[in-house]
Amino acid sequence: MEKISSLFSRGSETRLYFATDIHGSETCWRKFLNSGKHYEADVMVLGGDMTGKALIPIVQQGSGRWQATLQENRREFETEEEVKEFEDAVRRRGYYPFRTDPDEMADLEKDEKLRDKLFHTEMLGTVERWMRMADEKLEGTGIQCFVSPGNDDQFEVDEIISGAKLVKLAEGEVVEFGDFQMVSTGWANRTPWDTYREEDEDALGERLKKMTDQVTAPPEKTIYNFHCPPYGTGLDDAPELTEDLRPKHGGRSTVPVGSKAVRDAIKAGQPALALHGHIHEARGNARIGKTLCINPGSSYEQGQLLGAVVNLDGKSKVKRFVLTSG
Amino acid sequence: MANNAAGSDDLFQRKATGLLRGWSVWDGFIYAAFSINLITLGLLAFSYAPFIPDGSLVLAIILAGLYLVFQTVTYASLIAVMPRAGGDYVWTSRVLGGGGGFVLAVTGWWFILWHWVPIYADLLNKEVFVPLGALLGLDGAVTFFSGASGLFTASMIVAVLASLYVSLGMRAYARIQKFCFYGGLVGLAVMIVILLVSSRSDFVTAYNAGAQDLFGAGGNAYQETIRAGEEAGGTPTGSALYPTMLLIPFLAFFNLYSNWGATLYGEVRGASDFRKNIYAMAGALIFTSVFAVILLLLFAKTFGWDFYYAANSAFWAGSGPISAWPYPGLLTAMLLGNPVLQVILVAVLSLWFFGWTGSVFLSSTRVVFATAFDRVLPEWVSRTTSNGVPYAALLLMLIPSIPVSYMYAFGENFATYVLDAVLVIAITFLGSTVSAALMPWLKPDIYNASPIARYRVLGIPLITVVAAAFGGFLVFCIYQWFFNDLYGVNNGQSLIYMLILYAVALGIYVGFRLLRRAQGIDLNRVYDEIPED
Repeated sequence: MEKISSLFSRGSETRLYFATDIHGSETCWRKFLNSGKHYEADVMVLGGDMTGKALIPIVQQGSGRWQATLQENRREFETEEEVKEFEDAVRRRGYYPFRTDPDEMADLEKDEKLRDKLFHTEMLGTVERWMRMADEKLEGTGIQCFVSPGNDDQFEVDEIISGAKLVKLAEGEVVEFGDFQMVSTGWANRTPWDTYREEDEDALGERLKKMTDQVTAPPEKTIYNFHCPPYGTGLDDAPELTEDLRPKHGGRSTVPVGSKAVRDAIKAGQPALALHGHIHEARGNARIGKTLCINPGSSYEQGQLLGAVVNLDGKSKVKRFVLTSG
Repeated sequence: MANNAAGSDDLFQRKATGLLRGWSVWDGFIYAAFSINLITLGLLAFSYAPFIPDGSLVLAIILAGLYLVFQTVTYASLIAVMPRAGGDYVWTSRVLGGGGGFVLAVTGWWFILWHWVPIYADLLNKEVFVPLGALLGLDGAVTFFSGASGLFTASMIVAVLASLYVSLGMRAYARIQKFCFYGGLVGLAVMIVILLVSSRSDFVTAYNAGAQDLFGAGGNAYQETIRAGEEAGGTPTGSALYPTMLLIPFLAFFNLYSNWGATLYGEVRGASDFRKNIYAMAGALIFTSVFAVILLLLFAKTFGWDFYYAANSAFWAGSGPISAWPYPGLLTAMLLGNPVLQVILVAVLSLWFFGWTGSVFLSSTRVVFATAFDRVLPEWVSRTTSNGVPYAALLLMLIPSIPVSYMYAFGENFATYVLDAVLVIAITFLGSTVSAALMPWLKPDIYNASPIARYRVLGIPLITVVAAAFGGFLVFCIYQWFFNDLYGVNNGQSLIYMLILYAVALGIYVGFRLLRRAQGIDLNRVYDEIPED
């Protein structure tokens, strides 16, 4: 009877909301900031890969006319209002709009360094703006918010997050909420894209060990927030690629691409919960021993914030959770 | 260094995880072509044509093939708006609500596919075991696989084979399917050439000899078959429009599934992916329809149209000199004369079956997973082995399919319940179609953020126009299945059985919803959109 009543009673639980891989989507970031209230969560965690992947030029055509292309749809604008509306649409999708002219376009197409500089400016500028937005939105809510960058995020992002008042940078740290401790990293095993935070499995294993060794909470009160999912759990199933990075078999052929080091760390530490992202298509949950592993997936381009609501009760197995699409 | 950007006219991309080049339309085409499988589903569907002898089978295939392009655009639109989101379940649950989405998807993608196992098995017997048994002189095998025990045995073979494909994973299955597709194409090409170069008299001679050698039917089996078919009322009498349209619900058994692999992996980045999905699905639909017409015209030329209708009519009436289903692959093989070549042709054509078998469980396991992620089904349903085999979802497909197959093979009336197999899937598709039509109004933010938002027809969103058109097709078919005795679906027992399936799905949803609420998890949250501002 006690077992049954405990199943139906919420008791003193900590509710955590987790989302990841928003890749510059303004819509997803705004939704994330509101997710705590929406899901009545005590803690919000944003996994890695906050920054966008593409710059969208809006090219001046003369006589106040502008031209741009989004999702292969070419658009022309005649008023400032139309341009602003387009810029908002671009930001909502996770891309960075920028105004330019044909001469600068020609320079950008030729000069890789110039493009890099522009990317840096836009990405970091956006993260800075987002942190200001977070400080305004979270003020007085009492909800704790943790953000850890992912393998696609450049290192300067950490510094900007550290500067926020109400968002705590979680990368490489053991952070605490209530009785729980969470350790986070955005580092991943090698990818075909040679991203900012990736390394060989051995080095990743050492990194994870150093971090998890700092945890003092018991496993049932520990959370691993590792951007990269554990190998072979289904949370890491990505399209198999050809050498020139085309999905094989129309994208239906999938292969596990997660990290064995992450898997070993979870096996060894047996935290109550492991939070992952990285592979957008591999939405789901799995168990490694007692550990509940979650990858909520990502649908940032569609402006859908995929996430997970988890009720942590401090017991050895987390049972109350749900994947959401908000 | 990650910032190694690439330029284009439209945008500059930096190197980042998941940035892929476009996927091959051809690969998507292969999967869609297998789903509307001409040799398995198609030939069986065509064999029902004698039930409407005054309709034109060829015209019906052309009309349905062209009209179902609306289906491909509808599903390509759904993918463009909500890509890789889990198919019909997610589209319907997100747009129309969780309960409706769950009930429609669970019945159409889970429960009803248990009933497709004996249907697949029936085709395995008709196109592989019985013809090969006859060609190899294994009379015992022919008798066994023509009976109830043979059907149950074949069902178990199908269930095990489909489970094996799922266990091997998508990577291995995609390879197997590609091999079977190319092999099957070779078989189809050989079949076409044989039919093209053979005359009617060649076939009459070959058929009479084959009927004698393979099935022990003496005398002029060709003429006997035509006579038996005429007696059964299966002589083609015309090509009036309405009877032709009435053939379409029969054809839906074959050509309604070009969307079977609709949820492709990879980031959908723009209008080109929308177009690619259309090309893959519509391409397969048109390719298959064209080859269906070519085959039927060749059947008319070589077998004789009256004979083709009569052979099928006599089979369904249980009369005629040969008790086996007149599998056109075997009829064509008879023209070869050489037993070894005959076996090879039937074996090569069987690749159309073996490349397709996995589809009976594969998509279903994904839907079961999606419902478990939403916690409508329990967590254990989504468990996998360390090798990534979704064993729990697979068992939920495999285990119920065993008693269903047993009842289908040995039960008195159960086989008629299975006639709902297409109807229930069509109702599920109708749910997605309604979701697609209403999406611009019910989910405006998501719709407007999609690459298809700018496509309009007379000011109406394209997704709504195509979904309404496809919805009309589904409503026509569903109406005919419900109210026209021709299709054998509208008997009382069958309807009650179908309602029980829906009631069970509803019961599961309500039960788990209440359980989750008691656990402090509101399932509404799964589908709720978080406010942006």
